[in-house]
Amino acid sequence: MSGPTSQPIDPNGPLTDPLEFAAALSRSFAETQDIDATVREALGQIVKLLRVEAGAIFLLDELRTSLICRASVGPVDVTGLSVPNGSGVVGRAVVEDSIQVVEQAYQDQAFFAEADRKTGFVTRSILCAPMSVGHNVIGAVEVLNKQNGKPFHAEDQNLLRVMAASAALAISNARMADRLVAQERLQREVELAAEIQRHLLPAEEDESSPICGLVRPIQEVSGDFYDHFELPDGTIAFAIGDVSGKGLNASLLMSQTASLFRCLGKTVRDPARLMSILNREICETVSRGMFVTMVSGLYDPATGRLRFANAGHIPPLLRRPNQRSIEMPADSPPLGIVPYSKYETEEVDLNGAQFVLCTDGVTEYRFGDEELGTEGLDMLIDTARGKPLLQRLNAVVEELQRAGWRARDDLTLLAIDDAMAARTVEQRAEAERAEPDPSDFLFGLSFPADPKRLRLVRPALRAAAEACGFDENETDDVLLAAGEAIENIIVHAYGNRRGEIALAVHRMPDGLMLRIRDFAPNVDPAKIQPRKLDDVRPGGLGTHFIRAVMDDASFIPLPDGEGNLLELVKRKR
Amino acid sequence: MAVTSITEQSGRTVVALSGEIDMEEAPKVRRALLDSMKQKRDILVDLSQVTYIDSSGIASLIEGLQTARKQKNDLALVSVSQRARRVLELARLDKVFTIHADLPTALAAAKG
Repeated sequence: MSGPTSQPIDPNGPLTDPLEFAAALSRSFAETQDIDATVREALGQIVKLLRVEAGAIFLLDELRTSLICRASVGPVDVTGLSVPNGSGVVGRAVVEDSIQVVEQAYQDQAFFAEADRKTGFVTRSILCAPMSVGHNVIGAVEVLNKQNGKPFHAEDQNLLRVMAASAALAISNARMADRLVAQERLQREVELAAEIQRHLLPAEEDESSPICGLVRPIQEVSGDFYDHFELPDGTIAFAIGDVSGKGLNASLLMSQTASLFRCLGKTVRDPARLMSILNREICETVSRGMFVTMVSGLYDPATGRLRFANAGHIPPLLRRPNQRSIEMPADSPPLGIVPYSKYETEEVDLNGAQFVLCTDGVTEYRFGDEELGTEGLDMLIDTARGKPLLQRLNAVVEELQRAGWRARDDLTLLAIDDAMAARTVEQRAEAERAEPDPSDFLFGLSFPADPKRLRLVRPALRAAAEACGFDENETDDVLLAAGEAIENIIVHAYGNRRGEIALAVHRMPDGLMLRIRDFAPNVDPAKIQPRKLDDVRPGGLGTHFIRAVMDDASFIPLPDGEGNLLELVKRKR
Repeated sequence: MAVTSITEQSGRTVVALSGEIDMEEAPKVRRALLDSMKQKRDILVDLSQVTYIDSSGIASLIEGLQTARKQKNDLALVSVSQRARRVLELARLDKVFTIHADLPTALAAAKG
């Protein structure tokens, strides 16, 4: 056996050395992380060590108004008993932060005799030590009636004081560990919320796009958002918003608003109406006192026409080349305040101008007492003049940080540069003019000779026929002819055996040309003849359909063993 | 899913087809038609939901018609979609099949 200080804790035998007790207690707390179980175990050791009839450990509740019994040893279990802080011998020990020695319990005014009456226990003497860490008292440990009726010695007092201090330290450590775990969990939740928010923003900004945005949250989660997405007709829906307040609540409202905009923005084509719907939705769910300021609109890069509505947000900045910038103010209230607020749609012909939106985190950027304001932003926008839009927005933020301005809020910028759109439209027109080949190759496909592939080929063909300007019926006829040609190859050329089919689609000035090739032995075109139409029986119809719906269908001669090549042409009416 | 439902209505068997009926789907249509023939009832084929049909699909309908007539039943088409009508006309089969505008009309029509 080694010395007593290194002896492992023995739950059955009392520990005689207070130091050993303290060490064992800390170990026990560290191992179980169950405060109550360890408090019970500690109390058991104390009761055995001091040879008393009963004992209890009381801990202050969170408000420090009551002492709750967390463990009790003796003939009566008083666990859960609550004593107002300051009353009873226990309360006095806590309030005075001093050890209490009571030789005749019934002669002490503070003694709480009610417990004895209820339990039938007779308290004679009491020893009660405060449990404190530094000057912070967290509770007290109380022992009753020294065995054999003897009084408490000075040695008992010292022992209890030391053990109470050890227990206090161990409990305090265990609580801190609990708080750290809870904080860690909360931190993970905050990170998750931030992650969700990042997914609500446009995935990645395209440098060549005429619309770009950025957001710099001051905390992990943000009350700001922006979004933009292209609608099927090429129009771009956009929005920027700022939720009142900060932290998780603001970010949840932001997430709600952003996802509502994503949904509604795809179908509601009037910005004022969109705002009204958003406003009603947000009014229904928002908690008191929170609101959202927002600008949302539609921008058509093909015409430069922009329509927007403003719900109490910072006025957008309209910057025409070689002209003073104009702020476009809003009279409508923010979203989430009154359910039937009126919103109005404003219209601007951008005609090469810039349209800049921001949240107040930008205009309230501070340098000493000075605020950046809209004028400051107006000047900064030109920092990286001539660069792509996203670089210009990044330059604004970098310039603010470089010059030592201080952010007080989330910072969000969203800008439209119509001059860039005009360029891309021109580029598109140029690209279209640069199609000199009269039989322009659109796409080629190669696939196994399997009926299951037919449904995969049709959508691509449909897109090609539509791109060539065919109406719905003509497009359907092209699909029918191509399908029949491919089925003929599967059945006649390959005889339902495995093989490869290649399809090439060409655009012609007046229509469309398909080339369908197989690699089977040569087919005698004369043998594939349309059936007589009055002969009602399955089969033979496909070739008839091809000839009926296409303007030209011919086999192009290939060298022996090279397979068959069918060319189909359809012209526009 | 080429064959959406097979139901019995007023003594006829109604076979509803839908989607794209090509070489892949046509065998399912053929099977469904020949199986429903065993009830020895007149057949109504609902084509309202057919978005594409080619010669394979038409061939299944023709085989169904021939089998029905052999056993003294009729096979008529109902609610023929625009696309299906175009293909039937191309095949000049629009005069071979009895075509009803909709199901109530077909059910009200005297048994052939």
